[in-house]
Amino acid sequence: MKKIKTLLMAMTLAGMPGLALAQEQAAVASAPVAQAAAMAAPVAATVAPAADAAAPAAEAVKAEKPAAPAPLAPSELGLPHEAAIGLQEVVTDVGQNGRWMHNAVLFPLIAGICLFVLALLLWVMFRYRAAANPNPSKNSHNTLIEVIWTLVPILILVAVAVPSIRLLARQFDPPKADLTIKVIGHQWFWSYQYPDNGDFEVVSNMLKEKDQVEAGQQFRTDADGPRLLAADERMVVPAGKVVKLIVTADDVIHSFAVPAFWTKMDAIPGRLNETWFKVDRPGVYFGQCSELCGVRHGFMPIAVEVRPEAEFNQWVLSKGGKLAGAEAVAPAAAPAEPAPAAPAAATKG
Amino acid sequence: MAGGKTHDYHILPPSIWPLAGSMAALMLAIGGVMWMHSHPFGSTTFFAGAAGLLLVFYSWWADVVKEAHAGDHTPVVQLHLRYGMILFIASEVMFFLGWFWAFFDFSLFPQPLEIVDGAVTNLIGQSGSAALSVFPPKGVEVIDPFAFPLLNTLILLCSGTTVTWAHHALLHGDREGLKKGLWCTILLGALFSSIQAYEYIHAEIPFKGLNYGAAFYMATGFHGFHVLVGTIFLIVCLVRTYKGHFTPKQHFGFEAAAWYWHFVDVVWLFLFATIYVWGSWGAAAHG
Amino acid sequence: MTDTTASAAHSDAAHAHDHHDADHKPGFFARWFMSTNHKDIGTLYLLFAVFAGIIGGAISGLMRLELAEPGIQYLEAWSGQQGDAALHLWNVLITAHGLIMVFFMVMPAVIGGFGNWFVPIMIGAPDMAFPRMNNVSFWLTVSAFILLLGSTFVSGGIGNGAGTGWTVYAPLSTSGSPGPAVDLAILSLHLAGASSILGAVNFITTIFNMRAPGMTLHKMPLFVWSVLVTAFLLLLSLPVLAAAITMLLTDRNFGTTFYDPSGGGDPVLYQHLFWFFGHPEVYIMILPAFGIVSQIVSTFSRKPVFGYLGMAYAMVAIGVVGFVVWAHHMFTTGMSVNVKMYFTAATMVIAVPTGVKIFSWIATMWSGSISFKAPMVWALGFIFMFTVGGVTGVVLANGGVDDIMHDTYYVVAHFHYVLSLGAVFGLFAGTYYWFPKMTGRMYNEFLGHLHFWVFFVGVNVLFFPMHFLGLQGMPRRYPDYPDAQAYWNHVATNGYYIMAIGVGIFLINMIWSMLAGKKAPDNPWGEGANTLEWTLSSPPPFHQFETLPKID
Ligand code: HEA
Ligand code: HEA
Ligand code: CUA
Ligand SMILES: [Cu+2]
Repeated sequence: MKKIKTLLMAMTLAGMPGLALAQEQAAVASAPVAQAAAMAAPVAATVAPAADAAAPAAEAVKAEKPAAPAPLAPSELGLPHEAAIGLQEVVTDVGQNGRWMHNAVLFPLIAGICLFVLALLLWVMFRYRAAANPNPSKNSHNTLIEVIWTLVPILILVAVAVPSIRLLARQFDPPKADLTIKVIGHQWFWSYQYPDNGDFEVVSNMLKEKDQVEAGQQFRTDADGPRLLAADERMVVPAGKVVKLIVTADDVIHSFAVPAFWTKMDAIPGRLNETWFKVDRPGVYFGQCSELCGVRHGFMPIAVEVRPEAEFNQWVLSKGGKLAGAEAVAPAAAPAEPAPAAPAAATKG
Repeated sequence: MAGGKTHDYHILPPSIWPLAGSMAALMLAIGGVMWMHSHPFGSTTFFAGAAGLLLVFYSWWADVVKEAHAGDHTPVVQLHLRYGMILFIASEVMFFLGWFWAFFDFSLFPQPLEIVDGAVTNLIGQSGSAALSVFPPKGVEVIDPFAFPLLNTLILLCSGTTVTWAHHALLHGDREGLKKGLWCTILLGALFSSIQAYEYIHAEIPFKGLNYGAAFYMATGFHGFHVLVGTIFLIVCLVRTYKGHFTPKQHFGFEAAAWYWHFVDVVWLFLFATIYVWGSWGAAAHG
Repeated sequence: MTDTTASAAHSDAAHAHDHHDADHKPGFFARWFMSTNHKDIGTLYLLFAVFAGIIGGAISGLMRLELAEPGIQYLEAWSGQQGDAALHLWNVLITAHGLIMVFFMVMPAVIGGFGNWFVPIMIGAPDMAFPRMNNVSFWLTVSAFILLLGSTFVSGGIGNGAGTGWTVYAPLSTSGSPGPAVDLAILSLHLAGASSILGAVNFITTIFNMRAPGMTLHKMPLFVWSVLVTAFLLLLSLPVLAAAITMLLTDRNFGTTFYDPSGGGDPVLYQHLFWFFGHPEVYIMILPAFGIVSQIVSTFSRKPVFGYLGMAYAMVAIGVVGFVVWAHHMFTTGMSVNVKMYFTAATMVIAVPTGVKIFSWIATMWSGSISFKAPMVWALGFIFMFTVGGVTGVVLANGGVDDIMHDTYYVVAHFHYVLSLGAVFGLFAGTYYWFPKMTGRMYNEFLGHLHFWVFFVGVNVLFFPMHFLGLQGMPRRYPDYPDAQAYWNHVATNGYYIMAIGVGIFLINMIWSMLAGKKAPDNPWGEGANTLEWTLSSPPPFHQFETLPKID
């Protein structure tokens, strides 16, 4: 039966795009498996023993939760700039590669082509205007030139394709992940789950302006970041570590995008998309939801804070999480708040 | 009309049907939306639009038949009609491509569905869910392809031959053969539709809430709709035969119906091979 | 093109008939509401397109106004509501703008309008193959437009109107948008699609079957070629859209789960089906403009088109390859690396035949004798502006780079360069080129040039800064943006004002010339204009070619 299925599959999906599609979907279909494995391992290692211990120690631990490290103030990185005309600075290796691809390969190429076409146009407009050339020639063929203007673009495109494909390969070739975070898009906020650290969850909402909130509510200050980009809770990751993201959504499609990381991955209900980044440079980097998701699509920013590992650990503990693989440190940290309602969210349609 | 014309093309007088037809379509659409949102006048508006549309179809094609008899369908105009019909069928093929695409998306890359007492849950991302990623989804009682569907395949194949019989009879001026062939084709078509209706009524496949049911019913349902249209088309041809229409030289109305019928037949073969046979492989069949 | 030059003999023959039977026009109602005449239907389409263009353009004006400054300025006042319901208006505006411009402005204008008017004439046919069906195509467009406009008055969930974007992605368009607005928008697309499919059948049949004696496929004017390829794209892509949006409809109303993962459905399936239509759709909008530009460049350079066969088959190639590149709109949906590589490479291939067209136009002008009448100026503008839009498409085609560009204003800049500066420039070029033929009057040359320069400056100021915004990461479909993006947004809105003056000049020119323009001769453009429409009177007789022309 397998064989017949494969045969029919090959027949119906004959042709390049069809096959390509098959591969794509196959990859997606296998995502849950990979994900399940990834999640199972650390959970088994740390959570299981801790969970036993947690129950009796619960009340004691709550009080001991350390304070979160002070949020990092935004820098020049990871933000749009007034009247700027180019790509934002990037802080990942893949991003450097991508930025180079645009700034050093594609942009000069397209600017050159435009100027070339413009120059030709201006030249014919000037040289062959009726006043300068009253008698048009009647030639309408020149095989050589036609071959040239077909072949040269082909060669140019092949030359572009090489680094382009290499860039793609790089994006898809992640080193072993040090940390996995599950990113879930909601109408209209993000939540981040840390399965390696006791599976706690952070819910990240946009910070409103002072005049938009009621007295006593939290509002944005400049230390949080610019208007529309600042979030009450940030996704915090350790510097210099490979962070794997599993991106999904629980209502409609959203898209997790951080320009400074060269990262954009759609958050699709019913799918677990994977992407990754590694940032060495501590700081806070902003992004915005990049797939139309309803009325407040423009108001669900993404703020990622990259911190030295020690500070990251402190942050994890402050959220009631556990440190991966380190039994010695705070073994009793129970996932006190917020309640991990997450797996359900991921599977709901 | 234009007396000065020296070509064979058909220059038509003004006609109200296009405007009337699109207004009826507008009414049908608005009525449909109202109906789907439980507006009290929804179904009335919808059916009024549908009736208007049917009236326009009838009147429009009645005009076409009249024009054919008036001699407006010169050879080149008949060729237009042929092109038109073939292109229309090509677009229909692409329409079915969409439904097959959905079906293959679900069947080749199945999701981990758990079905308990008819309630469907998607367990994507949960450990151990991979085992549930099969198609048809576990717990669905499919239709046994080698029972009624196989019979229906034979019926449609058979009807393909009877319509060809009718065509040959027509070409040889054998009016009785034409009538018999058409009668057989129509009856076989009706039989097919009845069996489909029986299958739908007795199927255990849920329409709502399950990808398998959605793809199955919508693909086979649209095919069924095309069978009905094709049958009506053949009935029109039969009525026209009794009225003495069609000559061995000029009978495009009949040919168009026959082409359409063959198209419907071919779509069924694909449905049968993929959705019924391959797509139900390994699942429990409904007895 | 010498190939398609009509001999003097038959042009006399056509004239001889003008004054007899060929000009018996039906009364007003019968003529305009029951038409079976390709030129009248073409006129209806053009008027409809202008109307829709003004609405779509006005909506984009509202959008630019809101985006002129950071913060929400007008949405609450316009919608009369607060908070989320006001924000919903934004999504309704962009959705309506996108759909109107694509389905009710560009397509009716280039295919329904110019296609209807000039395809039959250019191949020497008296009318379309199915004149009555031609009219149902037009009236279905009207019904579809009524449905779309109507959708803005009923609930789309949080506020009135469909706020799904023109792409109508599920599940935002299914579970995410209760209320009848999205249903109306979907059925609007059904009707518009049916209209275009019937139109496509009509054009293909006409072109294959009604060419005058001697008019072989390889002698057809390039505009006819462009409509032929376009018609095939319509015929084969629209039914897939119909299936896709029918699934939306059943998911919304009848409980199916095509796009709902809780029942094993797949939101990405919708994107595949949509873009399998959507990518050919963008070529549907640009190919007729290619055809128009080819006619104009040849006419005003007084030279046959350079590399005619290459030009024709380049369009065929664009059409064919256009069917296998759709997923370049989906680079961030989580495709595997191999798929991304394939779609990157396949997409870039289209630059090759398109380059053939650009260079052939320039070669046509080379050693020609160019006169800069308004149509030619627009065609020249088209060639350059389309190149700018095309090459940014090549940037986007690189899957690894699209990761940063996707769903930002860089994409918005790209597609407005190929649409609002490409397709629309082609539209204006065609309008000036054929205005004398269609109305029998000359347009005002000065206003035509003024329109060009004002519009040209305006749209560039409007859309060029969007590249910068996109590179800086400004996402699409946002009613508000961080203050750092204020500068270029402000500039863009100023560009809109300039552009709007240009459209005003255009409308004044059209109305004034129609009423009081100089009488147009049969062929105002001289020996360069050698396709068949210039052998007829201006305007042509109600029924042309009562005796078919012979092409040698
Ligand atoms: C008229 C409409 C039109 C046309 C003609 C094109 C033409 C092209 N488009 Fe565009 N496109 C759109 C309309 C159009 N597009 C729209 C509406 C969207 C957004 C839809 C949405 O999401 O809402 C879009 C989006 C879009 C994307 C997705 C972006 C994203 O959402 O992330 C991509 C990616 O590959 C793309 C690529 C291309 C390419 C490669 C071409 C090529 O065909 C261009 C070819 C032309 C040239 C390259 C210039 C001339 C050539 C030369 C001078 C020869 C030499 C050149 C080289 C060697 C490079 N387009
Ligand atoms: C053909 C297509 C077309 C055209 C011409 C335009 C023209 C314009 N567009 Fe638009 N646009 C789209 C197609 C088009 N657009 C699409 C598909 C989207 C995406 C929607 C989505 O995200 O879902 C979009 C989105 C879009 C956005 C992004 C919104 C967002 O993401 O939040 C913006 C923002 O400024 C914008 C602005 C404009 C402006 C100012 C014009 C101005 O240039 C308008 C000026 C008016 C004209 C140029 C028309 C003049 C023509 C006539 C009057 C008719 C002439 C007729 C004959 C001669 C027969 N458009
Ligand atoms: Cu979430 Cu857009
Ligand atoms: Cu595309």
